Amino acid sequence: MRKISLLVAAAFLLCVSLRAQDYSNYAGQGARLDALVKAYPQLATLKSLTKTNGGKDIWLLTIGTGKTEAKPAIAVIGGVEGSHLLGTEMAIGFAENLLKGSNTDSIRNLLARTTYYVFPNMSPDAMEQYFGKLRYERNGNTTETDDDRDGRLNEDGFDDLDGNGKITMMRVTSPVGDYKLHPDDARVLIKADAAKGEKGTYLLLTEGIDNDKDGKQDEDGEGGIAFNRNLTYRHNTFAPGAGDFPASEKETRALLDFLFDAFNVYAVVSFGSNNNLSAAIPYNPGAAQQRIVAGYLEPDARVNGVISDLYNKVTGTKDAPKTNAGGGDLMSWGYFHYGRYSYSTPGWWVPKAKADTAKKEKPFTVEDPAANYLRWAAQQGITNTFTDWKTVQHPDYPGQQVEVGGLDPYVLINPPFKMTGEIVKKHTEFLVKLAGKQPELEVLNLKTEKLANGLARVSFSLVNKGGMSTHTKLGERSYFLKKVKIDVKTGDKQEVVGGRKTTLLPALDAGTQQQFNWVIKGSGKLTIEAGCPTAGYKTIEVNL
Amino acid sequence: MKLNIKIVPVIAAMALGIGGTQAQNANQVFKAAGSPVNPKVTVTWNRYYDHAGITEICKKLAAAYPNLVKLESIGKSYEGRDLWCMTITDFKKGEEKKKPAMYIDGNIHSNEVQGAEFALYTAWYLAESFADTKFIQELLADKVFYIVPTINPDGRDSYIHKPNTGSSPRSGLLPIDNDGDGLVNEDLYDDLDGDGHITMMRRKNPNGRWKIDPKDPRNMIQVGPDEKGDYEILGSEGIDNDGDGRVNEDGYAFEYDPNRDWGWGWQPNYIQSGAYKYPFSLPENRAVMEFVMKHPNIAAAQSYHNAGGMILRGPGGQEDVSTYNAQDISVYDAIAKKGEELLPGYKYLVVYKDLYSAYGGELDWFYAGRGIYTYSNELWTPYLMFMKDATRDPFDNTTYSFDRYLLFQDAFVPWKEYDHPQYGKIEIGGLKKNFGRAHPGFLLESDAHRNMAFSIYHCFHTPKLEVQDITERDLGDGLKEVTATVYNGRIMPTHSSQDVKNKIERPDYISLTTNGKVVAGMQIENKDLNLSTEQKNNPQTIEVNNIPGLGAVTVKWIVQGGNGKYTVNVDSRKGGTATLAK
Repeated sequence: MRKISLLVAAAFLLCVSLRAQDYSNYAGQGARLDALVKAYPQLATLKSLTKTNGGKDIWLLTIGTGKTEAKPAIAVIGGVEGSHLLGTEMAIGFAENLLKGSNTDSIRNLLARTTYYVFPNMSPDAMEQYFGKLRYERNGNTTETDDDRDGRLNEDGFDDLDGNGKITMMRVTSPVGDYKLHPDDARVLIKADAAKGEKGTYLLLTEGIDNDKDGKQDEDGEGGIAFNRNLTYRHNTFAPGAGDFPASEKETRALLDFLFDAFNVYAVVSFGSNNNLSAAIPYNPGAAQQRIVAGYLEPDARVNGVISDLYNKVTGTKDAPKTNAGGGDLMSWGYFHYGRYSYSTPGWWVPKAKADTAKKEKPFTVEDPAANYLRWAAQQGITNTFTDWKTVQHPDYPGQQVEVGGLDPYVLINPPFKMTGEIVKKHTEFLVKLAGKQPELEVLNLKTEKLANGLARVSFSLVNKGGMSTHTKLGERSYFLKKVKIDVKTGDKQEVVGGRKTTLLPALDAGTQQQFNWVIKGSGKLTIEAGCPTAGYKTIEVNL
Repeated sequence: MKLNIKIVPVIAAMALGIGGTQAQNANQVFKAAGSPVNPKVTVTWNRYYDHAGITEICKKLAAAYPNLVKLESIGKSYEGRDLWCMTITDFKKGEEKKKPAMYIDGNIHSNEVQGAEFALYTAWYLAESFADTKFIQELLADKVFYIVPTINPDGRDSYIHKPNTGSSPRSGLLPIDNDGDGLVNEDLYDDLDGDGHITMMRRKNPNGRWKIDPKDPRNMIQVGPDEKGDYEILGSEGIDNDGDGRVNEDGYAFEYDPNRDWGWGWQPNYIQSGAYKYPFSLPENRAVMEFVMKHPNIAAAQSYHNAGGMILRGPGGQEDVSTYNAQDISVYDAIAKKGEELLPGYKYLVVYKDLYSAYGGELDWFYAGRGIYTYSNELWTPYLMFMKDATRDPFDNTTYSFDRYLLFQDAFVPWKEYDHPQYGKIEIGGLKKNFGRAHPGFLLESDAHRNMAFSIYHCFHTPKLEVQDITERDLGDGLKEVTATVYNGRIMPTHSSQDVKNKIERPDYISLTTNGKVVAGMQIENKDLNLSTEQKNNPQTIEVNNIPGLGAVTVKWIVQGGNGKYTVNVDSRKGGTATLAK
C-alpha cells in the first residue's frame, strides 16, 4: 500500500512539474480545455467533433458571447502537424490568454462582435509520439498505411540503434557518400556541392535498418496519414502520409464538415510549417488566371500584404525561413477551397545566431540550420539536444564505419517550453488585432422621402468599414459562402413598387459602399435587413 | 404505381415448390435464341422500377439462385434507402474475393434511370441463363460481377414520383442553397397542371421570337433573324415562389452533381460546378468507395448514364491527359472498339476531349485512383429511333415523328391554357419526362441486352492466369533450378500501367512449394540471354509488378535438396489465382 501511494505521489509531482516545464500531452491538453470551460462557462464551450482512429478527440473550443454562430468568426487551428507541439500550445495558450483578459473592456467588446473557433489539435495521434517511448518527429495518425505500397504494413520503421529513446541520424563512411563535415562545426554534415567539384565522404540516413531487405531503409514505419497532407488542394495522392484520396481521414472530414457549415468564418489562422504571415504570398497573374486557380487573386494578395505587415509589427519576428506549401495542406485549402482569408505561421523558428567573438566564433562560411541551431542553443544554455556520433555495428553495411548521432528530433521547430509564454502572448495580440480588421457593415445616409400620399422613397448606402472584404475575391465564386443580402421585409399593406424586394450582392469590398433605393407603397414601420454571415447583419427600420 | 402485380403470384407459387408458374407454362413456350425461355424470376423489361421495385427484383433473384446471387446493402442513401449490391458468381467454384471482378452501377444521376434496369437485366440474365449456357457457366466460374443497380435511390424515386422534366433532378436529395441567399429549396418547380411532368410554359406575344413548327404543330421553334414571331417561351413550369424576381432558381433539380464527388482530380464547386465539400462527401458515393476499397479484385467497371449513345472513358480533365498512358489506352481501345460493334449508334469517346472537362468523376477515380479499367456508357441515342443518325435538335423532326408513328403521341402533353399568377394567360405543354433521355419501352430490353453483352466482353477480358509449365534443371552440388512461366490469356494486365506507376495494388505473388530449401529466387527478364533480377527477401514468393495481357512472366528458384516435387501458386489481386503441380 505504502509503496503504491508513494508511487502515486511521485507520479503526481512529476505531472505537476511536467506541466510547468514541458508541452502538454493529449490528456494534459484536454484537462486545460476542460478547466477553461469550467472557469468561463458564459464565454467558452467545448465539443468533440470526432474521434480519430487512435481514439482521440478532435476538440473544438468556441469562444464568444450570445449567438456565436451569428457573428463573424476566425478559426484558429493548431496541431496541423503532429511534430509541431508549439502549434497546439499556441492555440490553447491563445484561448487561455483571451479568456483571462475577458474582464477587460477591450476583450469584452471584441467577443461581443467576433467568435473564435479554436481547434487546438488536429493531429493528436501523431503528437503523442513526443511523449512516447521512442521519440521521433511524427505527423501521421494511427491509420494503418502501407507507405511503400508493397502489400505489407509497417514492416520497416526506424530502429533505435544506440538505445537512447530518440531517432536521430546515421552516417556511413562511403566513397559514394554525398555529405561532408561542416567546415565550421564538425558535428554537422552538409551536402557536398558536386558543381564545385566537392566530394562527399558520408552517406547520411535516418537511424535504422533495412528490415525487409528491399533496398530502402525506414520506408514503411508506424505512422499513417498526416493531417496537413490530407486536404483537398493539390493532394499528393499515393505519396506516403497523404492518403489514397483527399480527406480520407476522420479528423480531416470533421474539420471540413464543421467549417463548410460555419458560414460566419471569414478567416482561418493556422499554426504549422507554412508561413504566409512573415512574408505575404505575392500576386502572380499567371497562376491566378489558371482554370485550376493556383495563385491568390489580386485583391486577396493585397489583403495578405496588409495582414502580414500587422503580423510582423505585432510579433516583432524576423528572418523567417521561406516555406512552400507542399500540397494537401491546410493553409492552401483555407484559401483555394474554402474561399476564406487563410493565414499560417510556425510561430517560432531558430533565430539567426550571431558569432560570439568572445569565444572567437566567426560567422558561418556555410549557412546550415543544424549548425545555426547548435550555436544558438549554446548561447541560450540549452544542452543535451545533440547526441555525439558513436560507432555502431550495422547489418546493412558490413565492413563500413557506421555512426549514430546528431540533433534531437523536434528541436528545430519547437522552442524550449519556457519560451512559449512570450510567443503565445504575441500571437494572442495578433489574433485580437486581426479581428479589428474584420468586415463590418454600416448604414449611412438613410433617407425616407414622401413622394405622394402613401408613397415613399427609402434610400441608404451600405458601407463596409472593415479592413477586409465581406468575401475574398475567390470566395465570391463559391456557393459555400452566403451572399450579401438586402431584404425589404414588407408588412401588411406594404408593397415594393420600385426596386428589388431582395437583392443579393456577391461581396462588399473593404472601404466601399453601395447605394440602394426603393419606392414603397404603404404606411407604418418598414424593416430592411442587410448583411451576410461573414460581416454580420444590420436591421434598418423606417417610418413610411 | 403498382409495379409488380404479375410477380407476386410467382413468388407464392415458388414458395409452394411449384416451378415455372409463369403466364405460360413450359410446354407452351419455345426458346428464342440467347434469351432465358422460362425464367424463375419473371421481370417485364419494357418499363421502369422505383427503388421498392428494384429491391423486390433483387431479393427474388437472390432467393431463386442462392448459389449464384447474393444480395447485400453496401450502405444507405441520404434519405436512408439501401444501396443494394448483387454479387453474382458461381459460388460453388472458387473463392469470390479471389476472382477477377466487374463492377456495374447505374443511375448516379437521378434522371438517368435506365442504367438501373440495364444493370438489373445483366444480373437477371446471368442468373437465368446459367443453367443452359456453357459460356455463362465458364464466365461465372472465373469471374464475379458486383452489380449495384442504383447508387442514387433517393434521386431515382424523386424523378419517378415527383413532378420533373426529363433532365431533373440530376442530383440526390441532400438540400443545398443554390442561390446563396441563406434559404434552402425555397423556389422549386411547380407542377401547374398536376400531371407529374414538368413541361414548358409558352405565351402568345406579338413581340415574341418563337413560332409553332409548321412541320409539327406541337413543336416550338425559334424564328429566323429576319422573321417575326408570335410566341415567347417562359421556361419550365413554375412560379416565383419566394418573390425574389426569379422563377425556379432554388429547387432540388440541381443541388450538386454526384459525379463530381470522387477522389481523383477533384476540384471545388467554383471550378467544377456540382462539386460538394470534398471527395466522397455524399453518403452514396462514400459507400461505393468503401465497397471498392474492400474489393481489390475489381479489375473492370461500368457506370451507366444517359444519354447520347457513347462509350466514354477518361480523362475527365485536360490536366489528366498524361495519366492515361499509351499502354492503358490500347487496352481501353481494344475493348471499346468491340463495344462500338455490339452497340449500334454508340460511339467510343473521351470525356475531356469529346464532351467537356469534368473533374472528380466516378470513372476517373476508378481508373486513376484504383487502376480499374472503367467505361461510362451514355445510354439511349436518337439513332435508335429510325436506325439512322439523328439528333434531338428541334429542327430535325425525328423526335416528333417517332412519337407520332411509334409511340402514338404518348410522349407528349398537349398544349393547354393556364392562368398563371405572374404571367397571366399562358399555355403549358411539351415532352413528358420519360422521353428524350429514357428509352421508350419497346427498345429498353434490346438495348439493355446489347449493353450487357459489352459488359460481359469487358469482364471476360479481365486477366486469366495460368501456370504454363514448371521445368527443373540440375545445377550439381544438390542444387536444382526450378523455372515456371505464368501466362495471362486475356487483354487486361493484372495491373494497369497507372497501377504499376503508383503501386496501387500489391504485386502478384508467385510462390513455390517444395520440401527442399529455397536458397534464391528471381524474376527472369530474358530467358535466352540469362538475364534475371534476384529478390533477396522471402525468395520462395517472387513478387512481380505485373503480368501483361496476352503475355507471360517467368520466374525461377534455386532449390537445395527436396524430392523434386513442386507446386507453383499464383495469387494476384485483380488477376485471380492459378496453380500447377509437378
